[in-house]
Amino acid sequence: MYTINELKEWIKQERNLIQPEWGNWRGYTQGLLLVVLATILGRLLLNLFSPANMVMFYLICVTVTAISWGLVPSILVSLLSVLAFDFFLIPPYFTFTVADTQYIFTFIVLFLVGIVISYLTTRVRQQTEIARHHEREVTALYALGRDLVGLSNLESYVHAIIKRVKETLSHDVVIFLPENNTKGSFQTYTDSSGITIGKNELSVARWTFQNKKPAGFNTDTFPDAKAWYLPLVTARGSIGVIALWSTASTDKVTEEQERLMEAYTDLTAVAIEGIRLADELHDTQVLKATEKLQTALLNAISHDLRTPLVSIIGALSSLQEEEMNLNTIVKENLIQVACDEADRLNHLITNLLDESRIEAGAITLSRQPSEIHDLIGAALEQLGNRSRTRNININIPAEIPFISVDFGLIVQTFVNIMDNAIKYSSPDSLIEINVHYIAPEVIVEIIDRGIGVPEQDLQHIFDKFYRIKRPDNVGGTGLGLSISKGIIEAHNGHIEAKNRPGGGTIISITLPVVETKPYNVEKSNEQS
Amino acid sequence: MNNPKILIVDDEDAIRKFLYVTLTSQSYTVIEAKRGNDALSAAATYKPDTIVLDLGLPDIDGIEVTRLIRQWSHVPIIILSVRGSEKDKIAALDAGADDYLTKPFGVGELLARLRAALRRITQTNEEPIFTSGKLKVDLAQRIVTLSDNEIQLTPNEYELLRVLVSNVGRVLTHRSLLRTVWGLEYGDEIHMLHVNISNLRRKIETDPARPQFIITEPGVGYRFRLKDNN
Repeated sequence: MYTINELKEWIKQERNLIQPEWGNWRGYTQGLLLVVLATILGRLLLNLFSPANMVMFYLICVTVTAISWGLVPSILVSLLSVLAFDFFLIPPYFTFTVADTQYIFTFIVLFLVGIVISYLTTRVRQQTEIARHHEREVTALYALGRDLVGLSNLESYVHAIIKRVKETLSHDVVIFLPENNTKGSFQTYTDSSGITIGKNELSVARWTFQNKKPAGFNTDTFPDAKAWYLPLVTARGSIGVIALWSTASTDKVTEEQERLMEAYTDLTAVAIEGIRLADELHDTQVLKATEKLQTALLNAISHDLRTPLVSIIGALSSLQEEEMNLNTIVKENLIQVACDEADRLNHLITNLLDESRIEAGAITLSRQPSEIHDLIGAALEQLGNRSRTRNININIPAEIPFISVDFGLIVQTFVNIMDNAIKYSSPDSLIEINVHYIAPEVIVEIIDRGIGVPEQDLQHIFDKFYRIKRPDNVGGTGLGLSISKGIIEAHNGHIEAKNRPGGGTIISITLPVVETKPYNVEKSNEQS
Repeated sequence: MNNPKILIVDDEDAIRKFLYVTLTSQSYTVIEAKRGNDALSAAATYKPDTIVLDLGLPDIDGIEVTRLIRQWSHVPIIILSVRGSEKDKIAALDAGADDYLTKPFGVGELLARLRAALRRITQTNEEPIFTSGKLKVDLAQRIVTLSDNEIQLTPNEYELLRVLVSNVGRVLTHRSLLRTVWGLEYGDEIHMLHVNISNLRRKIETDPARPQFIITEPGVGYRFRLKDNN
């Protein structure tokens, strides 16, 4: 058995479970009408049934009222039933006095049963109603969730949310997000053209944002505002405000709309927060990489950029000193050293600039159909004397399509790789450039008989600032290959390094051909 | 021509000084200007034979200087600039510049470009036969020979070669080549140009992968290189 305290607790819980429903005037009149009908029926059947059975008619009245019009009307009907039963159907008739006192018990039971029926019916009905509301909410939220899948930026998120909320609630919607740089000002998003957001509306939005409390027409704060403002709150605080604009016909929202709106608000806050966090994460990563680049840049400046200058200044100042009495051969050597080092310095600076440009995402491809002969030729041309003094064997198949690439960038890649091949192999060894066409890709292999790459370094040589530790220090920034990789990958291509059997390195670059429109040479020649 | 006059426009004193020393040693007469406006008045006053122009000037941009000079003069303009992007090169060439060298550059390269520019102004339409190394182009009879063997070219290939050799040393952008050879409406048919250049190279170059005559300016256009040892 329940103790009194448990019972009190139970009543408290139950009270929270159901809402008192006052119903409307129609419920009361129709309830009254039912009691009248039941009483008339009772009067008509007075001789057929015993009064105790007439109670059933009244119970039907109470049930119908509870189902149709709510709790309070049905309780009232219970009370009315007891009174009518007593007055019309219990002898002596037309008076509340009761001859047989056992009917007092009937009255009490009738009243209590009436109340229990009212209560239980109402509860079942309300729970059905709640379940239906929940279903609608879940459907609406699911629809919004589905809208957001696949979107990746804030703008598209916000517009998807606005569209969905507007469709579901048939109110115009505005989302206010604080601007990053200016405090107190908002970026507003809406897809309803008719809305003008005045100073007053903005200050209500600001209030909501700062106080993290709803405001506007559906509330007690700024009830004159044109919209109902809800704060978008996450664990990190207020991130914005969503506003439901009042329509011309009504400035009320229904309870269901209100609940839906709350659910939307939560989801919106989480979604916007999510995309913000993703952006921030990306920014942080970029920042970290930039910092790393800057540190490396400083190291490069302090060492790699200074080394060539040491030789240049040294050579030039030797030439300047008249008392050194240098002979022609020594002079020529000094001049050669200065020139080579100056070239190296220039190459270094170009690479550093390119790397920072690739980092910043500032490189855009301007693709044009290019001939592989031409790309290799232009690279050899850029290498100038360094390529002319070497024996370079080029094998390009006769039937090879044009590839659609950024000419300048691909030439630069070839220059970087050929430069390495020249630098890291002895001057009398052969360098081979082999081109293969395996549809839909063109593969360019640059092969040397040089010192090769230690096995453990192979996978790292395309990393930024990675340099193989070697006793004989050949100059470089460790940027050339990383830039090349960046460029090739921007073309959806692939670059890899292998050791050549018997010594040397094979760098192989794979580039997709990318269909260019077929072109008929003969036809164009006839046109002139 | 005795002592051709070269106008050097650059705001860096060190570069002007170095160019002055180099060019005077090659018996050029050198005029210097520091700013765009000075360059414009010097160009009008001294009537130089070639202008060597920096793009990053303190007052007017070099591209604008080129455009203003082109309004009244055909003097060859060689751009010297640290701006090395294809876009900058094309902009300068479209504005009317003849050639483009990215800083830093070798003196040999600059002198070669200067010689080519000067040769263009002295030989306009006078010599019907163009010679470079083993290649000979008879512009009057439309005959091309390589080591005295006649080479068969299609009309378009010949026209392309003719335009290139009559602008020897000069960088011609893809667009300007297409417009001159094929016509105004073909300005964007870069693929067509590449195919014809490729065929032309196969016919006149010993090694098409390492062309000696028709030089590719990556992403910009083509240039016919003058071989000095003819």
